Amino acid sequence: MAGILILNGSPRAPRSNSKRYAALFMNRCKAQCEYQNITRTNHAELCEKMNKVSDVLLVFPLYADGLPVTLLEFLKTLETCPLERKPVISVLINCGFFEHHQNDIAVRMVELFCRQNGYRFGSVLKIASGEAILDTPFCGLVKRKLGQLAAAIVQGKARVLHVSMPLTRGMFVRASTRYWVSYGKKNGVSREQMAAMEIEGA
Amino acid sequence: MKLVLSDRPLPLSDSLDADTRYFDLSSCRIAHCVGCFGCWTKTPGRCVIRDDAVRIYPVIAKSERVLYVSRVKYGGYDSPMKTMLERAIPVQQAFIRVLDGETHHVQRAVEPKRATILAYGTTSDEEREIFRALVARNAKNMNFLSYEIRFVTEDEVEQAAAQEVRAWQAS
Repeated sequence: MAGILILNGSPRAPRSNSKRYAALFMNRCKAQCEYQNITRTNHAELCEKMNKVSDVLLVFPLYADGLPVTLLEFLKTLETCPLERKPVISVLINCGFFEHHQNDIAVRMVELFCRQNGYRFGSVLKIASGEAILDTPFCGLVKRKLGQLAAAIVQGKARVLHVSMPLTRGMFVRASTRYWVSYGKKNGVSREQMAAMEIEGA
Repeated sequence: MKLVLSDRPLPLSDSLDADTRYFDLSSCRIAHCVGCFGCWTKTPGRCVIRDDAVRIYPVIAKSERVLYVSRVKYGGYDSPMKTMLERAIPVQQAFIRVLDGETHHVQRAVEPKRATILAYGTTSDEEREIFRALVARNAKNMNFLSYEIRFVTEDEVEQAAAQEVRAWQAS
């Protein structure tokens, strides 16, 4: 009845930034960790694993201002799954925006799930500019916070942590534009094409 | 154009005019977004998954009035509506702008819209409060000029939806 089960609720879990965050978390965590992607078909298996750990860390991106539906559907299954002993649930969330507080609503959704279903909510780390921050000089800031999150979970503390790029909002917008232009270029798509106003069928 | 997007069938066929489109998500085949960013960085404005969502997001973009009908779960849209809204990201660009002092994605040709959300199945004031906060944030990312949230019971959904559509026709 010890250890942390890390559940990745990203829609692209095997290739996700959430997976990278989870790996960095595990490198800094003194407790035994097990990592699993949430899929459409493994809910029962994950519920079974939850029965055997003291803590669960939900790792996911902000999606349309809330929980990704991959995670939402797992929580709905978990609601119907009677666990003998309920682990503490913590959250590691990232969004692509400058402001870490844009993650707050999704965190409140998990807190509500916990309250409705008798789980204790543990700690949370809200990462801003999470699409790109790991590949910038600010990666160290994230690693430090991940270490603090790991320590808080191991010590049973309820901490609210956050990390953002130490830039002005305008600098962030310019940096994110460069990031996405570069992303499109790898696909042979120009900045102008990416900025098209047309929507198919509209 | 106007749009009624519902997670359950609604008996509206007699009351819809030619300018109003209605989609019952419970009868649509819509896969989860896979987060590939293709609609931003490979085929801008076009989703790679060719299912019913590609009939719906262009209508979301073109509509100046929308009625969303959805069950609420943990303070957010339940799976059918959330799945569709996640698949609607081709209407946005990858690029970020500052709006009302916060960063948000740039919209493509999305008509500014007045939105009504019929939300049912809430279980507490806390859940309703989270949902209000969610829609307020959605408003910035979905180009809502204004919005109204009506919390109703499951039994009241059909009547409330019909009332809203009648008000559209009368205006």
